[in-house]
Amino acid sequence: MTAAGGAPRELIVFRDVHKAFDGKPVLRGMNLAVTKGEILFIIGTSGVGKSVTIKHLVGFLRIDSGEIWFDGKRVDQLDERGFYAVRRRVGMVFQNATLFDSMTLAENVALPLRKHKKLRHTSALAEAMGRLEQVYLTGFTDRYPAELSDGMRKRAAIARTLTMEPEVVLFDEPTTGLDPVNARRIDRLILELSRSLGVTAVVVSHDLTSIFSIADRVAFLYQGQVHAVGTPDQLRASADPILQQFIQGQSSGPMETPGF
Amino acid sequence: MIGERTVTLVGTRAVAVSREVGGITILFGQILRALLPPRIDGRELVKNLHKMGNRSVPIVALTAFFAGGLMVVQSAPFVKRLDATSLAGWAAGYAVLREVGPILIALMFSGRVGANNTAELGTMTVTEQLDGLRALAIDPIRYLIVPRVVSMMVMLVCLTVIGDLVALVGAAIVAKAVLNIEFGIMYGSFTENLTPHDFLHGVYKSLAFGWAIAVTSCYFGVTVRGGAVGVGRAVNAAVVAAAVSVMLIDFFLTYLNV
Repeated sequence: MTAAGGAPRELIVFRDVHKAFDGKPVLRGMNLAVTKGEILFIIGTSGVGKSVTIKHLVGFLRIDSGEIWFDGKRVDQLDERGFYAVRRRVGMVFQNATLFDSMTLAENVALPLRKHKKLRHTSALAEAMGRLEQVYLTGFTDRYPAELSDGMRKRAAIARTLTMEPEVVLFDEPTTGLDPVNARRIDRLILELSRSLGVTAVVVSHDLTSIFSIADRVAFLYQGQVHAVGTPDQLRASADPILQQFIQGQSSGPMETPGF
Repeated sequence: MIGERTVTLVGTRAVAVSREVGGITILFGQILRALLPPRIDGRELVKNLHKMGNRSVPIVALTAFFAGGLMVVQSAPFVKRLDATSLAGWAAGYAVLREVGPILIALMFSGRVGANNTAELGTMTVTEQLDGLRALAIDPIRYLIVPRVVSMMVMLVCLTVIGDLVALVGAAIVAKAVLNIEFGIMYGSFTENLTPHDFLHGVYKSLAFGWAIAVTSCYFGVTVRGGAVGVGRAVNAAVVAAAVSVMLIDFFLTYLNV
């Protein structure tokens, strides 16, 4: 399929994506489109392929078949070097923050500034301080990641990703393991990013409070496919019993979950 | 059947070793590619040079001092019997500069620096810090691996040169203490019997050892799977692979007498 013929109007498109691990299928013909500027949540039970989906977009995993498009260009066939151009435009915040242990918060944030903006170390550190201030981490800039709480580390990781000035940020379970106060702070950051900077946010989560407070649209993944997609209100009003079982957190129902 | 099991075991091991050798070769190719053009991160390079080199000096000096002294102690009965005091320096110096110095220091370096490197990279791998770098569009090979490989090669050569000197001093001191050979006689024995090639032979070897330790320790670090247990296994494998590589390289370089 050519870019002209199949180029979607959406910013990101997953088309008939299949992925298996050791012969065990995870994604089975998944289709999903992300519109520029929106906050899209990908929800579903553990192991359904939510993180796997977003990792494909930045080349951390390779699809078995199907297509992935970003901004009108097919990206699933790129090599590792080709993906560096995508990663400059699509940032990713991991579930575990992945800050570098051996560096202070300021040094962590300064690293991409040094590498991509070609700033000298002192200038990069000065800018990093400002970036950390934006995520409410003033006073912690010279601390090492191990000395901080999960919420602080995640906020620092967001600040580090934003130094790239990405058009899209992929968040992998940003509020998992956080207390409600820190979780809502992360939500607020994501919302600010989207509304004030126009950043497109794709959020993998099963935090229902986040979903129903900041999502523009929600895609519910089930059995390797997008089972339902719509606004939070549309999903809440849906009569689909599987979707309702997930939203209401019921342990029994029509949903088939491996391992139970 | 035992025969079948043996064949299966040998075959499995052969495939595993081939996979590791292939992986190390690919990593080496990626390192060379990342060096063209040679844009090494200065801060990482300086940090690693200091951590891997400067901090290894005391332990290397201690090892080298006693290695040099040991050569004299081993040769002492013959030196006494033949009254060949003028050859004591040659015996110790030749062995230290060409073989004992580079090998002992390389194995010490592998245990201290190589194992540490594998553990650090392995931990970074299992905690997704390497993926974190890739997500920031920073190539881990160029940013993390290349400075480490360069640092290990440079610093093992430096440490070998320092170790050689300390070993010769150690030999002279032990010769005075055990055989009552004057320092002047030992110095004369060194300068008259040893050639620059003896010294350079050891230096060339240390450069090759540094490369082997660096590439194997980085390879096993970045290919860790399976959490803390995986890191432990990787460190173990890296130290064994480095030791085997050092001995193989030593054999061939000695045979070729580079």
